[in-house]
Amino acid sequence: MDEQAIQRIVLGAIESANRGRRPEEQLAVAPDAVLYGHGSPLDSLGLVALLIDIEEALQDEGLTVTLTDASAMSETTSPFRSVPNLVRHVLNRIPG
Amino acid sequence: METDTRRVLVTGASQGIGLALVRHFLAQGHQVVGVARGEATLAAERYLHVQGDVSSEPDVAALFAEVRARLGGLDALVNNAGLASMNQVALMPYDAARRIVEVNLLGVFLCTRAGIRVLRHSPAGRIVNLTTVAVPLRLEGEAMYAASKSAVEEFTRVVAREVGGLGITCNAVGPGPVRTRLTAKVPERLLDALVKRQAIPRWSTEADVINVVDFFLSPASGMITGQVVYLGGIG
Repeated sequence: MDEQAIQRIVLGAIESANRGRRPEEQLAVAPDAVLYGHGSPLDSLGLVALLIDIEEALQDEGLTVTLTDASAMSETTSPFRSVPNLVRHVLNRIPG
Repeated sequence: METDTRRVLVTGASQGIGLALVRHFLAQGHQVVGVARGEATLAAERYLHVQGDVSSEPDVAALFAEVRARLGGLDALVNNAGLASMNQVALMPYDAARRIVEVNLLGVFLCTRAGIRVLRHSPAGRIVNLTTVAVPLRLEGEAMYAASKSAVEEFTRVVAREVGGLGITCNAVGPGPVRTRLTAKVPERLLDALVKRQAIPRWSTEADVINVVDFFLSPASGMITGQVVYLGGIG
């Protein structure tokens, strides 16, 4: 799976999350959007739900990927801070 | 879960309390999935039996893939599967101790982790874990069993906090001795002595357990979470 396909999955998951969010809590749907922290309305519970959606979308493509583990949590720059960070993180997690 | 029909998954479904729960949920008109290592011990139109080991990550992944495919979601997960092995710690084989932790604790973890992903789409997702009065009674001869269930209780309380925002509750019920294959291996005099320590000194029944599970599963119990209810007046 290439970077563009992963970006589509991530943005699709954000769009899906937005459907359940109030108008003032909408997340930006853009390839360079900030996702978590830095004034983003996404809280930790919302992040968990978003990551589950992304893992499940990847599973639908036949890829079993775990996005959160000790190494992800201890990285200096959070892999969940922005869409590009998250896309890169997913790419790094895909086996092979 | 505003309607009466729910989609319920019961682990350890082929015998004892698990089988009684399956029968009860079917009688209530629910769709039920049961998982056990062995084959199905009942057949019913709304019952799907999946053979698998709750402590196996691939088995649990396959189980929930089946749940999604056949039920399209889930409203309640009852983590009932459990092992006990009566023995003094000084004499207990390592493999027996490890297996108790794998099934009783890690099995609950695996099913809960997978369960949250589907339960979050339910209007009233419910997780119920089975514990035991052996925890508050500090039952000698059941150190690993009681320790694993004590861990399940703390797991229940923490998970309740993690999933509350997803509309899911997580609670536990701890029966006293129930006449099942699990207790058949324990000397009767020890269980009778345990029962005498309860405020209500009688053996628990499957119906007693079902009553508490029904309470936790009720749509009206949306504010009940992180609770451990023991039967018989213990704790």
